[in-house]
Amino acid sequence: MNSVGKSWLLLTGLIVFYIIYLLFGALVFSTIERPVEEQLRRDMDALKQEFLNQSCVSAASLENFLVRVLTANKYGVSALRNSSVTSNWDLASSMFFANTLVTTVGYGHTTPLSDTGKVFSIVYALIGVPFTMLVLTACVQRIMYPLVIAPVCLLQRSGLEPRPATVVHFLLLLVLVVLCFFLMPAAVFSAVEVSWSFLDGLYFSFISLCTIGLGDFVPGMQPRQKYRPLYQVAVMVYLFVGLMMMYLLLRTFHKMSDLHGLTSFLQLPRCEDSDMEEEREPIVHEDSRTANNVTEKAASKPLDPGSQPSYNTINKG
Amino acid sequence: VAAPDLLDPKSATHNTKPRLSFSTKPITLTPREESEMVATVMKWKTVTAIFLLVVLYLVMGAAVFRSLEQPHESAQRLAILSQKLEFLSKHSCVNQSQLEELVKQVVSAIRSGVNPAGTLTNHSSLWDLSSAFFFAGTVITTIGFGNTSPHTEGGRIFCIVYALLGIPLFGFLLAGVGDQLGTIFGKGIAKVEKMFVHWDISQTKIRVISTLLFVLFGCLLFVALPAAIFKHIEGWSALESLYFVVITLTTIGFGDFVAGGSEIEYLDYYKPVVWFWILVGLAYFAAILSMIGDWLRVISKRTKEEVGEIRAHAAEWTANVSAEFKETRRRVSVEIYDKFQRAASIKRKLSSELGFSPAPELTLPRRTVSVNFNDERDKIERDAGLQGLTTPLTRNGGLYMNGLDPERGDISIIEHLK
Repeated sequence: MNSVGKSWLLLTGLIVFYIIYLLFGALVFSTIERPVEEQLRRDMDALKQEFLNQSCVSAASLENFLVRVLTANKYGVSALRNSSVTSNWDLASSMFFANTLVTTVGYGHTTPLSDTGKVFSIVYALIGVPFTMLVLTACVQRIMYPLVIAPVCLLQRSGLEPRPATVVHFLLLLVLVVLCFFLMPAAVFSAVEVSWSFLDGLYFSFISLCTIGLGDFVPGMQPRQKYRPLYQVAVMVYLFVGLMMMYLLLRTFHKMSDLHGLTSFLQLPRCEDSDMEEEREPIVHEDSRTANNVTEKAASKPLDPGSQPSYNTINKG
Repeated sequence: VAAPDLLDPKSATHNTKPRLSFSTKPITLTPREESEMVATVMKWKTVTAIFLLVVLYLVMGAAVFRSLEQPHESAQRLAILSQKLEFLSKHSCVNQSQLEELVKQVVSAIRSGVNPAGTLTNHSSLWDLSSAFFFAGTVITTIGFGNTSPHTEGGRIFCIVYALLGIPLFGFLLAGVGDQLGTIFGKGIAKVEKMFVHWDISQTKIRVISTLLFVLFGCLLFVALPAAIFKHIEGWSALESLYFVVITLTTIGFGDFVAGGSEIEYLDYYKPVVWFWILVGLAYFAAILSMIGDWLRVISKRTKEEVGEIRAHAAEWTANVSAEFKETRRRVSVEIYDKFQRAASIKRKLSSELGFSPAPELTLPRRTVSVNFNDERDKIERDAGLQGLTTPLTRNGGLYMNGLDPERGDISIIEHLK
């Protein structure tokens, strides 16, 4: 089978497998969560009934009231008495919000209410997201040498073959990242946040560092949180460094799979380190004809590793 | 989103013009190990500079958001508090603590995704198969709306494991889709460019136009059209639809607006179509971002190139000018020599006619003059002439004393000299 046909086949296979994976996830989530939801709904109804029974409030006015409370709550404004007076939009919180915007985590615990805010969010995100990606990968590029290449060389010098050396190093790095960026912060969060358990902290760390950012747990949102601005800035720094480490992990994994031949097997573009040779070629000033030929050649061979721009990692998550 | 590669080394080798790339890869700068070690100091400076820039960008954004949003927030807060007071005053049998309790319960129910407003019967579950499918999709694509989230411990643990496996899987998928999309568009643009070539427009202009066309067409297909559809089906305003599209396709995913998240009656195929749109739209956005990155990289490369070219041209020009100058000098001296010779011969003739003896003339230094019209001999003589520029060579009937003829492509000689 020629290269193009093979790539299409692989893609279709991938899509089918992906759909199956989603269905599987849907089934499992459904089975786990649905009973709990039912129970909560029944509890809510009972609560409302109880409230209505013992008071002079009519169902309609209660509904009305509840709808307004919920609308306000959706925007982060609490109707409770003991909610803190601190705004969700003071400087530190706004910076936290801007950070969730550009790292694409997007918790959603506070969202822009005004129309102007929405327009500004769009523009800010469109510029900020590529910008952040640039910074993160530039940083990863710099720390790649001391954290990956040097240790691998060290391992090789101590007698291991290149391939096992990379595997060993990757596993070590993985253990280190999990320890420092998942387990430790989880412990810290469960200590600082009153209502979070260790599992909640771990869940939060994972959901944030994969930039999923569901928003069911957000640090620093409790009323009367001590040193709230400092706490939020610290969480921002943690997010940024953690994201960087995730990129690093992915990059190392990609280089490793390059070495082990996985990427060419799956017809994926290679890590661009292997293209250093081409980069050193002199950039010839081609005339228009040859440039066109090159484009067409590149266009007709989509997944040929040699002609495609390479990926250093596939996904930031 | 699969992070786009904004600085890709491969593009440098293929073109002098920005290439359209539709890959979905993060940005990297070329790892040049040797030069990295040499130039480490400078590079750290660059990184720090960029980092400071990002921090500045964040602070600026924070300030703007604060000034835009805080008034609204205060207004909302006032409104809800007055609502509460109004409610309490209207219904005197309810005391404040009861109300607080109710509100607290309601709020936590909302956090769990259960909406207590409205009656029980016409609620569709948040965890029926299609909604769970949608939720799984938001986890894998890292959008993470958050309007539904797992609340049981088992659900959360499963979510972690599920995401660990699913996100790379989606990454591969996105890479594949992005590639196919890129190929399709690349072919289309190549065809368009072929058309334009007949019109004799410059290559760069064609490339720019085709890029713009691609961006516009994609925007129409993946941004404007879905926004219009959402506006119609979900009942949002135009701005809200656009906001939703951008927030979703950059995988930020706040969750304040979610397609398929309201209480409206949706068509059966609505949610799957939305999911499919997210997939392709993500690939498009990643392609756009990587294209921007390619441009950035090529611009930086081209600037370097152009600076190098400018320098080379300047050197060339200087060499040309000096060659011309030398040649003019020689030509002038030859003319003087010629004139002198003619004057001398006239003098001789006159003197012979008049019977005078030839007077001793001032002799110019002897020069060998060789006339040849053969290029090869030219070349040899040229090469020989490079060693000592006093050997005159003639070509095409003219007299060029140093063998360098700018009109005949002596650039190569100058290059050779360089």
